[in-house]
Amino acid sequence: MSTDPVGPPAIRVEHLTVSFGPRPALLDLSVEIDRGLLVGVIGPNGAGKSTFIKAILGFVKPEVGKMFIFGVPADQSKGRLAYVPQRGAVDWDYPITVQEVAMMGRYGHIPWWRDPGPQDRKLVEEALMMVRMEELSNRQIGQLSGGQQQRVFMARALAQGADILLLDEPFAGVDAATERAILEVLERAKVSGRTLVVVHHDLGTAAEYFDRLVLIKQRLYAYGPPEKVLNPELLSEVYEGKLRIFAEIEKERCQ
Amino acid sequence: MDLLYNALILPFGETYFQKALLGGSVAAIVCSVVGCLVILRRMAFLGDALSHAMIAGVAAGYLFMKLLFNTEAHAPSMLAGSLIAAIITVASIGAVARVSRLKEDTAIGIMYTGVFAAGVVLVSIFRNHIHIDLVHFIMGDVLGVADADLWVAVIAAALVLSIMVLFFRHFQLTSFDPIMAASIGMPVVLIDYVLTTCVSLVVVSAVSMVGVILVVGLLITPAATAYLLCDRLDRMMILAALFGMTSVLGGLYLCVWLDSSGGGAIMLFCTFQFLVVLTVAPRYGLLAGWLRRRRSVPQQLVEDILGFILRCDDTPVALASLTASLESGRERLATAVAAMTRDGFLRQEADGYLLTQDGKSEARRVLRAHRIWETYLSHTGTPEAELHERAHQLEHYHDRDAMNYLDDLLGHPTHDPHGAEIPENYAECRPGALCKVSVLRAGRAGLVASVDKEALATGLRIGESVTMGPRKEDGALWTLVREDGAETLLDHRTADAVTVKVLGSEAGTDL
Repeated sequence: MSTDPVGPPAIRVEHLTVSFGPRPALLDLSVEIDRGLLVGVIGPNGAGKSTFIKAILGFVKPEVGKMFIFGVPADQSKGRLAYVPQRGAVDWDYPITVQEVAMMGRYGHIPWWRDPGPQDRKLVEEALMMVRMEELSNRQIGQLSGGQQQRVFMARALAQGADILLLDEPFAGVDAATERAILEVLERAKVSGRTLVVVHHDLGTAAEYFDRLVLIKQRLYAYGPPEKVLNPELLSEVYEGKLRIFAEIEKERCQ
Repeated sequence: MDLLYNALILPFGETYFQKALLGGSVAAIVCSVVGCLVILRRMAFLGDALSHAMIAGVAAGYLFMKLLFNTEAHAPSMLAGSLIAAIITVASIGAVARVSRLKEDTAIGIMYTGVFAAGVVLVSIFRNHIHIDLVHFIMGDVLGVADADLWVAVIAAALVLSIMVLFFRHFQLTSFDPIMAASIGMPVVLIDYVLTTCVSLVVVSAVSMVGVILVVGLLITPAATAYLLCDRLDRMMILAALFGMTSVLGGLYLCVWLDSSGGGAIMLFCTFQFLVVLTVAPRYGLLAGWLRRRRSVPQQLVEDILGFILRCDDTPVALASLTASLESGRERLATAVAAMTRDGFLRQEADGYLLTQDGKSEARRVLRAHRIWETYLSHTGTPEAELHERAHQLEHYHDRDAMNYLDDLLGHPTHDPHGAEIPENYAECRPGALCKVSVLRAGRAGLVASVDKEALATGLRIGESVTMGPRKEDGALWTLVREDGAETLLDHRTADAVTVKVLGSEAGTDL
């Protein structure tokens, strides 16, 4: 887990095309994400944001394209990536406790004939502590609040020991205070040297939360620092003018 | 005593009972364990389909041996036939679902009836050669279980249970989060096939006991019963196995006492067991839910109490005056007030209850909803006399988006038709938030964050600080006081087009 900026980028995607039918979900998308950054993936509904994440994870097969994780082809670097699903994609009635979900993060490291050992349990405990969920570790996941549910899956990703965390809309459907709490966990993960790629839908907060933004609508429209990506012409092109753009207030004036 | 002995102990002495109990339990245990995954994956219909499709395989296996080798009712080939039929069914379901736009349940319905029909046709064409009793497969015969069937059940159970134990984590993760499973390199598709094969195996082994029609019940009912009691998959599987076993035991007694069909009695007992657990389960049961609802305080009552105390303006309110004014029993009110004190909405003083800060903002939200609804009702021409009563009902619908919509529709009124002030929209214009100037009340200040084209004529600059002055023209015009003291008048549309970042402290939130 190095924060060393030299060396291959955390994620390199080359000419990625994914298609579920005649219209490709992603088309010729190339991007390089440097390590140690908190990166937001933005774009309108159906733009392929989740597909982008799933392609990096290897859950959807690209028609064209290559992906490299720290310079290594993605299919040879399982386990360096951790995934936090969208809340709507989880069966919250599944009979499973907080601790067990976090332990799933270790499954990739435990051979199939062995049980989780003390080392695994320690890592899971640490991960739960990092998201402040250790006291609820025996709760069934359906009995948690929205923000707590999100944090459990963050803990799972942390327990995985992965260098790259991919999160699908962690801020969807949570209140402002919870959003802050989740952001704080993301920041802490970043400080510990991880690279985070977060699908995000709220342009109003995108500039504030992320170091870099990836603007996608089937194709890559922009990648770079928020002030570059959130320019009105680009956004109105991608969102087809259906967007009210909040101009950034000069920072000094607010203070 | 003799009666008890005859009813409970005597059947154990009989070989047929021992065999039925052994075979039935083995089949039920493994069915229930696999059934846990079946219900979590919502595959119940697939289990049903497999059991029916098997009939075709049994007939094919029988005919194959009969016509080629002239062997009568060759058990291994019939078993192999049913497994093959099950696997063909699963594979064709997957194929149809993949290549067409049909959803999986439809594909299941098509393919299993197709395979089943092939079996029916096959049996009727060769009816002169077939000397097996198909009723045996449809109804099952747990009391007459053959040694061969017993062996099949035991071997299938041992195989499937070891797979379940060894690959527990694989099944758990692929059923819970297949995307993560794929991302750590688990062979998701292969695991899926293994699970379906296991389902086929247990169905095949249980059919001879309870029959084609009831086997799906043995697959899902004990698992569902355990699901109501457990919050962990491993415990759910163990408990399901136990319920499967008790179903067989209870069912067999039922069958001996009533002299009924074995499979029927087992499933009847199993269903009864489920209904009992459904009623009394401590967390997910009906009784527990009913008790919880009884003990819980309806939101409506909470809101009524909040509203009442808010209107009393910081004088402590005694329980007695609540009872006098709200239409609710004293006991219910006492429970409600206690719960609200616990939740931090109320504070108990010597001579009654006061609102806490949380209670106040909650109460204001309800009051705001009430007065907006009243304004809205008056706007839609509701007679004056009905306003309060109707708004009192409607105030419990205070979803933020809905209230913001109505507020905008009415032109962000500051007072209701009776002249009472509508509380400010605190949620939108708390300090630091971005909000339209149209929702600001007089005295609020902010920095202009964006100006849409409707408001370009005002000349407002981004970053400029502005203060809201009093409304004019009966609330239809907003006054913005600029940095240099000049006033700019905005109409509703223009005011909606200007966004500011709200300045100030929480102090403004006091009523």
